Amino acid sequence: MKTDELIDRLGRDVTVAQPLPAPGIRTAMWTVWAVSLLLVAAVMMFAVMSSAAVTLTPLYLVQQSVALVTGIMAARAALASVIPGSNKRVWVLPAIGAAVWGVSLLWAGVLDLQASGTLGVTSQSDWPCVVSMAVGGLVVGSPLIWMLQRGAPLTPGLTAFLAALAALSFANIEACLTRPHAFALTVFLWHGGMVTAVAAICALTGHRWLRWPDLTTR
Amino acid sequence: MDEFPSPDEHLSRLMARAQQGDSNAYVNLLRAITPRIRQLVRARRGFLGESDVEDVVQEVLLSAHAVRATYDPTRPLMPWLSAIVRHRLADAGRQHVRQGAHEIGVDDLDVTFQAPPANSHEETFGDPDALAQAIQALPPGQRQAVELLKLRELSLKEASALTGMSIGALKVATHRAITSLRRALRASDDE
Repeated sequence: MKTDELIDRLGRDVTVAQPLPAPGIRTAMWTVWAVSLLLVAAVMMFAVMSSAAVTLTPLYLVQQSVALVTGIMAARAALASVIPGSNKRVWVLPAIGAAVWGVSLLWAGVLDLQASGTLGVTSQSDWPCVVSMAVGGLVVGSPLIWMLQRGAPLTPGLTAFLAALAALSFANIEACLTRPHAFALTVFLWHGGMVTAVAAICALTGHRWLRWPDLTTR
Repeated sequence: MDEFPSPDEHLSRLMARAQQGDSNAYVNLLRAITPRIRQLVRARRGFLGESDVEDVVQEVLLSAHAVRATYDPTRPLMPWLSAIVRHRLADAGRQHVRQGAHEIGVDDLDVTFQAPPANSHEETFGDPDALAQAIQALPPGQRQAVELLKLRELSLKEASALTGMSIGALKVATHRAITSLRRALRASDDE
């Protein structure tokens, strides 16, 4: 087909395509959804067990806050990555958030070592959190995937990685709320490992579920 | 509103109207940006032949059309378009490398197999009349798929654009058509 014929055909087929809201607004919409789920999880947790079960130390609050900010920044970066010509600097912010989150957990591990004389690596496995994060991440992340699929899959691997980081950051908070941990290094290894593994899998498979739309079906 | 907007502002306005479904504005926009896309492709892939350049240009036009909702009418159009061109060129490059890894270049060989049918000097296609009749007897969708893909040798994408059928539907229709033709021609041979 000649290019002129294609142009004529595209012109004939054109329909209303409302511009997507800016990535910041879409991030806010998704954050409302994710925070709502977190609140539901928190309310359920306090209804089932004593609030004293969670020790709200400053470091614990820092960890959860940083995870929250990392999740929001990752969602913002993912949603910006499907807009052609958007600013790439936002991609760096979630990496900084994740680094701070990791450092805060390691620091908490050092404090655990000073207080208890052990890092607690072998004393507590965390399979329930892995399951909880997988389910939570899927519930929190599904609308994000849908939102991303409405954009342009310019960098599907990176976009999928950021989306996984966003969803699992929130799922990590939910898991920390519903299942208190005795040692910070348990969270670092199990939660951090889960986030890293799932984000890596998403990065490798992103091109399968973030594809250029099939024009003939639009 | 400016009476004489700059070229980029003009493009942005055309795109904004196209997003509202204005067909004329959209055609004008596509005609205006096509030479720019061609220029960008040539600048980044100077080694491509004319037909390859045109393939990429069409790919970019289709991609931009598919994701036109991602354009923010308050921003300039060219950075948005250039990003699509850049990524589609990279995709095309990756696809080219992948295909190259699975293909083996073969020179034109004069040598054929020893079996007599392989050394026939005439190209025989069986009974062309029977084939034409068998094609005519196909259901309309299958007949159209065969005519476009096998007789006119269009690509799946081109045939899809012409017919409005999805690529998957075209593949299925072609597969069924070939099966039906094989069956019909075998039956006519038996008679």
